[in-house]
Amino acid sequence: MPYLFILPCVLFCLILLLYPVIYSLTLSFRQATVDTFVSGDMPFNGLTQYQAALADPVFWRAVIDTVLFAFFSILFQFSIGFLLALLFQANFPLKNVCLALLLIPWVSPVLTAANIFKGLFNEAGPINQIGHLIGLGPIPWLANPAYAFPATIVANIWIGFPFNFILLYAGMRSIPPDVYEAARIDGAHYWQRVAKITLPMLKPVSVAVLMLGTIYTVKVFDLVWIMTGGGPANATHLLSTYAYQVGFSLLNFGEAAAIATLMVLLVLLLNLVQLLLRRA
Amino acid sequence: MKSNTPRKSGLGWLSLLGCALITGAGLANAPAEVTTVEIVHYFDVQGQTDALNQLQKDFEAANPDVKVHYTYVPFAELVSRTLQMAAVHKPPAIAAIDNPDVLRVAKAGILMDIAAEVGKFQVWSDIYPGPKAAVTDGSKVYGMPIGSNSLAIFYNKKMLADGGVTSPPKTWAELTEAAAKTTKAPVYGIAFSAVNTEEATWQWEPFLWSNGGSLGDLDSENARAALQLWVDWVKKGVASRDVVNWNQGDVPNQFITGRAAMMEIGPWMLGAVKKSGVDFGITTIPVPKEGEKPVVPLGGEVWCVLKGDSKVEQAAIKFIQFTQDPERLRKICDTFNYISSIRSVAQQQGQANAELQPFVEQMDTARARSQDGGAQYPAISLAARTAIQKALTGQASVEAALKEAAAKIKPLLGTKK
Repeated sequence: MPYLFILPCVLFCLILLLYPVIYSLTLSFRQATVDTFVSGDMPFNGLTQYQAALADPVFWRAVIDTVLFAFFSILFQFSIGFLLALLFQANFPLKNVCLALLLIPWVSPVLTAANIFKGLFNEAGPINQIGHLIGLGPIPWLANPAYAFPATIVANIWIGFPFNFILLYAGMRSIPPDVYEAARIDGAHYWQRVAKITLPMLKPVSVAVLMLGTIYTVKVFDLVWIMTGGGPANATHLLSTYAYQVGFSLLNFGEAAAIATLMVLLVLLLNLVQLLLRRA
Repeated sequence: MKSNTPRKSGLGWLSLLGCALITGAGLANAPAEVTTVEIVHYFDVQGQTDALNQLQKDFEAANPDVKVHYTYVPFAELVSRTLQMAAVHKPPAIAAIDNPDVLRVAKAGILMDIAAEVGKFQVWSDIYPGPKAAVTDGSKVYGMPIGSNSLAIFYNKKMLADGGVTSPPKTWAELTEAAAKTTKAPVYGIAFSAVNTEEATWQWEPFLWSNGGSLGDLDSENARAALQLWVDWVKKGVASRDVVNWNQGDVPNQFITGRAAMMEIGPWMLGAVKKSGVDFGITTIPVPKEGEKPVVPLGGEVWCVLKGDSKVEQAAIKFIQFTQDPERLRKICDTFNYISSIRSVAQQQGQANAELQPFVEQMDTARARSQDGGAQYPAISLAARTAIQKALTGQASVEAALKEAAAKIKPLLGTKK
């Protein structure tokens, strides 16, 4: 009888979490295309989908870009968030107003943000107008494969830094003030206190922030899809946009599922690397 | 990691939706004597939805034993959703499928061959060859076009006059010249879409095809010249470098806000451009040499009947036949801002509305995109648009980019069934 109580939860997990994962996994080993999907006799073809994905240069470019995208996004999101959190430990006028303003990027819909960034980076857009004032020629931000990728990272940093900031800010507030006071009496100056007290005591929070950050950035889709559609010339494809293109433009569901599986493996791998780095 | 639930961006939801459909379908069952015709579509513009609602009202009044039920699905999901519904044995009666996708969906075996039925339609003998090709595979017919659209050049009359261009361009040389004369910062001579979606291929096809080229043979002089034309515009600065990032929504924005003197776009934008107050004209797609005929790709959706219950199939055909009454067809196409795929109806539209005339003129030679590669069209188009973007952004020469695409396309054509 007691099992009846956990039944809803178990059912929820099985139907909504486990089943899709397993379905997607099995799909990745089947030849699931337009022809076979409807008839339902999607034949197992082992690793064919994975081989096809791994043999595609665009896939590898997407892997590298996904890793770079995550690395630079998190690096800046975390650094900016950390510095802002330090700043907000002090009291200053309009602090609460600034706090609320800082959260705007996080609460604004990605759809809106992406379209605004697309406009900002337009050849005739505001960023180039400012560049013009300081003597820079117009830069085709999103139209040049070399600039388009950094431009999407900049947009993602803007969207993601408040999340880092607010968690780190809350984490810092939970550090007992008497630890700082003792350090100050011992003559530790500000940056020493930050390096020797704030950083180590913030470690549990930082670990969580970095892990969540990795997951959030590896799965970014809408931002890049709206800003560049993976272009120009496949220069900004992430694994997510690439899987979408294979699945929904080419209707090769099997290969898209294989790419999605590889993407999950990548997230696990990146988190594992982080874990090992921390242990070391 | 225990507390994290990695998001599955794969296809798990497909199956979920399947479950939802199975359980949901029981509720939707109508009384036994009434047949429900479910129509999936992605029309979301006011004029289109008004036309659909009117159509439903008229049809239900004439056929009390049939109910029409529309299901809206976003554009990008229509094909996958239709396949999915068919896979769980709950196909809609009709799907309004984008014409280049029809043969591909038919290949999955879920569309009904309605050759015998459309043969009896009064309008079938009068259908243009392009739309006919889009729905025909050998002797089989997999649908009836709702209407067609295509591309032409919209021009800002004042900007052309200010630049000293006396008549709208008819040839490639005139078009390039007009673009150069009207370019004056911040105005570009011409705007088009070369974004990393089907839009890029579709916008390039008028130039490729008018020059005698085809997607199946990109490593050819015809294709190179057509791509060089675009590359030169960007190199000379008469088109913005941002074209590789503009979709077909961005292009009219450039035109309406006075940042482009000309644009390549279709009749569905007529309403918005008219509303903007820009004094504009429309001309057919310029051709390589004077006197040649432009060959444009066809857009527009097709009513396709899905295999299922025979009673529903018959009701679906009845509905499609109802839409094909010439008078009614013209009304539908007018509100959709489409050109009818039926010659006599299209000609009436052109006579009544001068702005539609260039599009009507192009219908005779217009081609279905599936004529370049059949069911493999989407993969072929993807290879082509990568070449377009590489050449436009200077990552590869026109020749190298097209050679690479041709190498990718060749095996696809080999596997064509």
